[in-house]
Amino acid sequence: MHERLPVLVRISDWTVRPVLRFLHLKLGATPAHVTWAAFVFSVAAGVAIATGRVHMGLWLMLVGQVLDGIDGGMAREFNLASEAGKRLDDLLDRASEVAIFAGFAIAGIVSYKIVVLALIAIALLTTVAQRARFDPGLKRFALYFGIWFPYPLIFDVIFLANLAGYAIDLLIIDCQFQADMDALGGDLDTVASRAAAMDGGRPLSAGPRRQERAAGAEPVPADP
Amino acid sequence: MKIGTHFLATTLGVQAMGLAGQDRILAYTFGMAVDVDHLVKLPYYLRAVGLHDKRGYYWRSSLQEPVALLWILPLSYFLGTIVPVVFFAIHVAMDYSVRFEKMPFFPYSPYVTRGWLTGISDTVKERVLFTVLLILNVVVYAGWLRA
Repeated sequence: MHERLPVLVRISDWTVRPVLRFLHLKLGATPAHVTWAAFVFSVAAGVAIATGRVHMGLWLMLVGQVLDGIDGGMAREFNLASEAGKRLDDLLDRASEVAIFAGFAIAGIVSYKIVVLALIAIALLTTVAQRARFDPGLKRFALYFGIWFPYPLIFDVIFLANLAGYAIDLLIIDCQFQADMDALGGDLDTVASRAAAMDGGRPLSAGPRRQERAAGAEPVPADP
Repeated sequence: MKIGTHFLATTLGVQAMGLAGQDRILAYTFGMAVDVDHLVKLPYYLRAVGLHDKRGYYWRSSLQEPVALLWILPLSYFLGTIVPVVFFAIHVAMDYSVRFEKMPFFPYSPYVTRGWLTGISDTVKERVLFTVLLILNVVVYAGWLRA
C-alpha cells in the first residue's frame, strides 16, 4: 500500500535523508547491509519474546522495522534500487516474521497452529501482492496492538486479514487479466486460451480450443 | 453448471451430512456463493460485449478454481471444519464437467483446460445431474421426515 502513495514515500525519504547520507557516505553502508541489520534486530526481537520479554522484543522489532524502511530510502536516494535488493528485502521480511511469530509460540503466548496459519497467509499474499498492488499491511505491525488486545486475537486478525487480502488479490489479478483478454477482442470463444498463451509465452496452437476444433467438437457453451 | 444445480447439490450435501448453524452457512457459501465472481465479471462483459448473448465469454475467476484451495484449506483448518473444502470441491467438480474454458491454476500457471467428460453434451450432463440430484434430495428429505 505504501508503494502506491509516492507522496508518503518522498516525505519519509526526505525526513530520513540525513541518516541515509550518514550511513551510506560516512559509514559506507549499502541497502543490503541495512536490510540484513534489520533482520538481525528482528531475530533478536524473536529471541527476546521467546524468553518472555515481550516489551523488549517489541522495541527491538521497532528498530528492525525502522531499518527496514531505511534500506528502501537509501536505495532510492543513491540509485541503488535493484530487483535482487527487492527480493532480498521480501525474503528477509518473511524470515523476520517467522522469527518474531515463532517467539510468541515458543513463549506460549499463542498456539503454534495460529502462528503457522498466519505465516502461510502472509506467504500466500506475498506471492501475488506485487502483481495485484494490494496488501492490507497487517503483519508485524499488528503486534504493537498487543498493548491493548490479547495476542491470540491479534494473530487471528493477522491470519484472516492476510488470507482475505490474498483472495482479493486473486480477484484483482483476474480482473486485470479479463481487461487484457477483452483488449484482444475478436472471437471470445478462444480469448481465454489466447490470453493465457500470451501470458505464459506458449504458442496459441497449444490451446485446447484449436485441438478440439480440429477434432470437430461442439461449440463452447456459455458459463451460467 | 447452473446455479439451480449447484443449489440442489449443496442442499443434498447439507441434508446428508446433517449440517446446521455455522456449517450450513459455510456449505452454501462454498457450494453456491462462490459463483458471486460472475457478478464481478459482469461489468467487463457489458463493456466488451454489451447486452448481446456472447457464448464462451470467460466468466470465471480464481474464486472458483482449484487454486482457491490455497486459501480455503487454511481457512478450513482455522475454523476447525472440513465443510468449506468438501462443498467447494463439489462445486468445482460440477463446473469441470461442463466444457467452457477454465484456468485451474491461474495466476500461477496459464494452463487452460475444458475439464472432464468433454465428449458428452453439456445439456445432457446438466439435465441428468439436475434430475438425479432432485430425486436424491426428495428421497433424503422423505427419509428425514419419516425418521
